[in-house]
Amino acid sequence: MNGQTVVKEQESPMKRGNLRPVEQRVVTIAVAGNPNAGKSTLINAIAGSRLHVGNWPGVTVEKKEASFDYQGTKIRLVDLPGTYSLSPYTQEEIIARDYLVEERPDLILNVVDATNLERNLYLTVQLMELGIPVVMALNIYDEAQAKGYRIDVAQMEKMLGIPVIPTSATKKTGLDQLLEVAVSGEKGQQVAAPHQLNYGEDIEAAAELIAGSLRNSHPGLLERYPTRWLLLKLVEGDAEVQKTTNLTDQSLLSEALYHLRRAHGEDLEAVLAEVRYSLATGLTREVLKKPELPRTEVTEKIDRIVLHRVFGIPIFLAAMWIMFKLTFDVSKPLADWISTMIAGPFKHWAEALLGLIHAPEWTVSLATDGIIAGTGNVLVFVPMIFAMMFFITFLEGSGYMARAAFVMDRAMHAIGLHGKSFIPMLLGFGCNVPAIYATRTLENPRDKALTALLVPLMSCGARLPVYVVFIGAFFPKNGGTVLWSLYVMGIVLAIVMGFIFKKTLFRGDAPMFIMELPPYRVPSLKSLMIHTWEKGKHFLVKAGTYVLAVSIMVWFLLNLPWGVEHKRDSYLGQVGAAVAPALSPLGFGSWEASSSLIAGLVAKEIVVGTMGEIYVKKAEEKKAEKPTFAQDLQTAGSGLVKALGESVNNVTSTFGVSSLSTAEDAEKLAERTPLREELKKQFTPLAAYAFITFVLLYMPCVVAAVAMVQEFGTWKWYGIAFGYQMVLAWSMALLVYQGGKLLGFGG
Amino acid sequence: MNLAGLKPGQKGRIVSIGAIGPLKRRLMDMGVLVGEEVKVVKVAPMGDPIEVFIKSYNLSLRKNEAEGIAVEVLA
Repeated sequence: MNGQTVVKEQESPMKRGNLRPVEQRVVTIAVAGNPNAGKSTLINAIAGSRLHVGNWPGVTVEKKEASFDYQGTKIRLVDLPGTYSLSPYTQEEIIARDYLVEERPDLILNVVDATNLERNLYLTVQLMELGIPVVMALNIYDEAQAKGYRIDVAQMEKMLGIPVIPTSATKKTGLDQLLEVAVSGEKGQQVAAPHQLNYGEDIEAAAELIAGSLRNSHPGLLERYPTRWLLLKLVEGDAEVQKTTNLTDQSLLSEALYHLRRAHGEDLEAVLAEVRYSLATGLTREVLKKPELPRTEVTEKIDRIVLHRVFGIPIFLAAMWIMFKLTFDVSKPLADWISTMIAGPFKHWAEALLGLIHAPEWTVSLATDGIIAGTGNVLVFVPMIFAMMFFITFLEGSGYMARAAFVMDRAMHAIGLHGKSFIPMLLGFGCNVPAIYATRTLENPRDKALTALLVPLMSCGARLPVYVVFIGAFFPKNGGTVLWSLYVMGIVLAIVMGFIFKKTLFRGDAPMFIMELPPYRVPSLKSLMIHTWEKGKHFLVKAGTYVLAVSIMVWFLLNLPWGVEHKRDSYLGQVGAAVAPALSPLGFGSWEASSSLIAGLVAKEIVVGTMGEIYVKKAEEKKAEKPTFAQDLQTAGSGLVKALGESVNNVTSTFGVSSLSTAEDAEKLAERTPLREELKKQFTPLAAYAFITFVLLYMPCVVAAVAMVQEFGTWKWYGIAFGYQMVLAWSMALLVYQGGKLLGFGG
Repeated sequence: MNLAGLKPGQKGRIVSIGAIGPLKRRLMDMGVLVGEEVKVVKVAPMGDPIEVFIKSYNLSLRKNEAEGIAVEVLA
């Protein structure tokens, strides 16, 4: 079957004085290959900025696509998830095979790691079953040559019946040739369908028997699916295929497979896997000559240190510490600069503009405190998301991510997680939002969901200002201990909840660990940049919309009905008052406390700001002179320079993590003195501790919520997180308050 | 002897794979087949998982996953 689509331009050729109709061929190319075969780098090198990153429908697996013209042909590249096989077990495999079988691309571009031929050819053998033309990019060819491998490319082409082109995605060699072959059909040399490999007498006979009976009983099936693939899947007993074709217990199958089962046993799936591997092994033996004495590989040398029994963990922790520092400390000055810009110059300019057109006061407030502040809430996350994406992509591309999982798996597996869960959990202490996005490094949906559910229990940087205000007011002597107790409480509860979820929501076998430890490689900068940029952009557009909407909603709650004298009469105050009774067993059943908590939906640090607004009378508001436009511009410029300087400084300063340090907050604390005095009147120390416990545990902020919904493509996990965290926050605060009272810590 | 029982540096030949279903298929897809030679390279610092060398690449798996893989010790 020739699936090439021809798009004819509808324009009349006569009108343009051109007698030949303009035809543009569209060739859809699916890119398939093992993980770590350099598929991403190859696609980035070919498509570059034309690449569009999204998700496969309904799942959390990334989908990359690009469309571009090459020598008059329109090429549509679709990147399939990296897989080792086309079996129906992992999400990635199901996506890849469904696409290949259902969508039938015109061509499969099979990216093969030349340094690991045998295991890569196992997938090639399976791709060839589909009857779709295959072109092989024999990638990482330069590295294979450097290792002294000699690969007989011509022999490989002959044996497989497919074009094989040596490439190096990092050095950008062979790429043009690859595209040329891919579009060569135009010149009448259509890439032919690959050879049909012989799977051995027994299997071929069984397949023939099935084909014979299907021709009579189910002729439609042979039309609908690639014939050879269908037959082999039926021999294999592929559960998915049996289900979709309704051939589960048909007698035609058991008759056809009778001899095969007698000769090879019941597990025909294993028999097929063995046959495919023996084909891959045979091919490799024919075409690959390895040097007699293999040298000690760089990877082996690095692993001797990095996975060392004693030093392995300290090295890992040091690497994580650097990553944490780079992600949060580099982005923090920039984020601070953005929020200063939003709160200062942008707000002033908007006020001035609206003043010019004599806009009513409430619209000014909506524009500045609602829309501009809301935009600011999104923008402050951008530097952090970029930094995190850059880092995660680097860790994955370099090969260290797999080592990180290897080192940490024992500890993480104990609470039902995967070794790779450690990184998102750690990032959670900086900010839950990048942490939730970082769960994309986990392949298994169960591991991923469980990790994302537990991330919000890691006390993020935005909760710190709340703790600091309360600690300053109530526990000035043993502030360190109180602060420490909150972080530990979060971790302990994550372990407990991990156990509970493992026994309830995620009952059943833990997902497997079986994972390749790929050779270390230097990831290409271009690849890193494209990936980071795409993710950052994605966040801005998708998350931005939601966060802005919620910010505006909170503004309405806080400021309507317009012109209320007392905050108690605003909608927020009213909702707060309604909720307050539910919180009174926890020691803080006032409308002020509950309103502040509700406002914390935008971001947990907003709790402090709202409390300031509610508790401290507005009378003392400073009537500072508004800076002029020129001054604002100057502040913006010098602020940026200063921020960039600080970013660099934070990288080079070796000790401490500045985004977690309280030094700066102590500075701000002085401004909060009136609030602290007021809090002392409203809370007992025990109630204060119950309150910060509640802030630690209750619902994730809206940005984290959006991250969860966006990553998982469903509201389900956010719903569960919201529910369990509310229950947990309420029960823990109750335990603290009532338990504390019983123990005599005062009411 | 099973694969989890081999010490780092020890080689074995796979005799049988006791796993079933997706775990077995996954192992086979990764080249863990009967008759294959396998060498234990490392044990993770906390004692689990392990790293093995098979089909000229490095694979890591948890000990409980390796326990079902019976091997005869080669060296």
